[in-house]
Formats: sequence, structure tokens, C-alpha cells
Amino acid sequence: MSGSQPSAAAAAERKAEPAPIPLLETLRDEAKTWEKLAPCYGVTNPDPPWKVSLDATCECLADSAVLPALERRHAEDRLGETVYQGTPGPEQQLLALAHIMLSRGLLSEEDLARRMNVVRLRLEAA
Amino acid sequence: MQRSHDHADSGHGHDYHEHPAAPMVEEITDFEVLEIAVRELAIEKGLFTAEDHRKFTEWAEQIGPAAGSRLVAKAWIDPAFKARVLTDAIAACREIGIDWAEPTGAGTPSDYMNLRVLEDTPTVHHVIVCTLCSCYPRPLLGHSPYWYRSPNYRRRLIRWPRQVLTEFGLSLSSEIEVRVEDSNQKCRFMVLPMRPEGTEGWTEEQLAGIVTRDCMIGVALPHAARTSDEVRPMHKARRPVPQAGRHGEAGRR
Repeated sequence: MSGSQPSAAAAAERKAEPAPIPLLETLRDEAKTWEKLAPCYGVTNPDPPWKVSLDATCECLADSAVLPALERRHAEDRLGETVYQGTPGPEQQLLALAHIMLSRGLLSEEDLARRMNVVRLRLEAA
Repeated sequence: MQRSHDHADSGHGHDYHEHPAAPMVEEITDFEVLEIAVRELAIEKGLFTAEDHRKFTEWAEQIGPAAGSRLVAKAWIDPAFKARVLTDAIAACREIGIDWAEPTGAGTPSDYMNLRVLEDTPTVHHVIVCTLCSCYPRPLLGHSPYWYRSPNYRRRLIRWPRQVLTEFGLSLSSEIEVRVEDSNQKCRFMVLPMRPEGTEGWTEEQLAGIVTRDCMIGVALPHAARTSDEVRPMHKARRPVPQAGRHGEAGRR
């Protein structure tokens, strides 16, 4: 995996200017980022609880050669300097991963929006 | 999600705890929802399995500093390897089985692949920090200690490095220059401390045993008499639980 040639998708990403994705733009509420939210509740953990799960998702995608780690990191860098500039670390990594998966067709915006609604209902169930 | 047990009816619920629960964020954010949604869809599409994900999560939560200790010990013994460590640390890491690009084995959970190893000398001592957040060379050192992430350390080390090092029990001569390296999202640092006296003829394994995590952060120095795997003092239980266990204590309140 390491040292391999970049995929065609990665090469295309490097040429294209990253563009915002409407669904992900609706999620970028800075007040809800961990660095803003955690102090409101007296929480001192530097990372949100979902960060380790996000890392594992990244590693699983790399392990299955769906999204090699180096390609993802390069794409994260580009997106972090453009579309998600100003968004803090963990949230930026999450948005960038979703962005990459959407732009590569691994997920569709409709499926993701629908699944987010299902997950939200599940988490908010009394 | 189904509850694993019902506190309200169990008789051993939270009402009986003597300490309040640690604070937690009591709201669900879109970011949390997005993380779950992406993961579940990826699993449904067969990109990986839930079991794969669980294994990586478990592994990522338990990585430690052993790899960094091996890197330092090998550099102490092998001058050519040390030269490679200082010129291309990522490549040198592969020689001890750490590939920053590989998620398997002793690889890394999502760290950036730009590592610089800072060599201490008789006149220069290095110490690392991340003033912005908590960037840390996790593939080599595991998870950062809580104090590394604290505002106290992050803010004060840059301004008053000697004072902070003294608080860790490390008092350096005024003739030794202290250099603080500020990690960031794109670059990680690690300290290569000097090999201490009294370790002549030691094996690489013996040397690795004295290179503790704090030595590679730069808040401590390795000593021949102190190892990272010393047996810790044990505190005796003041109120040991009987053999039958708590659930067998009928009528206990």
C-alpha cells in the first residue's frame, strides 16, 4: 500500500479545484465543534469520542485498498487548506473523509443524508 | 441502542455510587451523526466489516511507546541507523517495523507522515509540545499523556521551558540550551536523548527498557537505573469485595 502509485481518482483530485458539497456545508456549525462544545460541559478530553472510530474507519478503508492512507492524507491536506479551512482538526478530518468518499462515488449525497436522519432519530430516541 | 442493563430496577444503579459521574457532552451533534452514518454506509456497501472496524478501534486505543524506545536504542547502538533516523525518520521507522503509511501491525492511526527526530547533545536539549492542540508522534509513542494535552503545558513550555522541565524533575545546567519544538498538524517531532553512562555493553533490548515515553518527549532523561517496565507499587484494597461479589451482598445499600 505504501509507496504505491497514486490512483486515477487521486490524480484527478489533484487537478480539480475542490468544491464545497451542499450536504456537508450544512453541517459546518463551528459552535458544535468539540473544541467549542467540550468546555461548555466541563469536558477536558481533547478529542471527541467519535475520533477513534473515525480513525478506525480511515484505517479500514486503507486496509481494504479502497482509500489508501497517503491518498487520503493528501486529499485531507488540500481540502483542509481550501473548503474546510478554519474547521478544527477532528471535524476537518471527518468532513474531508466524507467529502472524499462522496466525490469518489463511494457514497451518494442522498444516501448519506438519509442515513444521517436515521442515525439521528436512533440517537435521540428516548 | 439497546441498553445493556437497566439501572432503575437493578438495585446496583447509579444512586449508590459515591462519586459523581465524569462530565460528558450531553448533546448529539451533526458531526457525531455524520461519523456513524459514514461508517455504517461503508460497512453496508462491503468496503469493510464491522469486525474490521472494531479491531482497528481496539488496537488504536492501546498502542504504546515501545516502538519509539526501540528506535532510540537501535540508534544508540548503530551509528549508520542513527544517521538515517536523523535524515529520513519515516524510512528509518520502517527498519524497526513501523510504517507510517500502513494501518496494520505497529502502524499508525491517521498521523501525518512528516517526522523529525531531534538529537540531544551535551549542549542542546530538546523538548516537544503542540501549542495548537495535541499533535504527537503516535506510531512511535502511542497516545499522548494527559498533561501533554493540557493548556498548562502547551502554553507555558514555550515561554518558560526550564521552569516547566523543573516541574517534571528535570533541572538542566544553564550551559545547556533548551530548544522547544512545536508540533503541528503536518509535522511530528520526537527527541533522541543521549545514551546515559553506565550502559556500556548493553543489548538493544536492555537499552530500549530505559527509554521511557517522557525521555522521547524531552521532559526526562534516560538513566541506567530506571526502566519503563518497573513493577509499580500496589495499593491494598481498603474495602475488598467478598468472594461472592457485590451482587451477592443481599440487603446492602
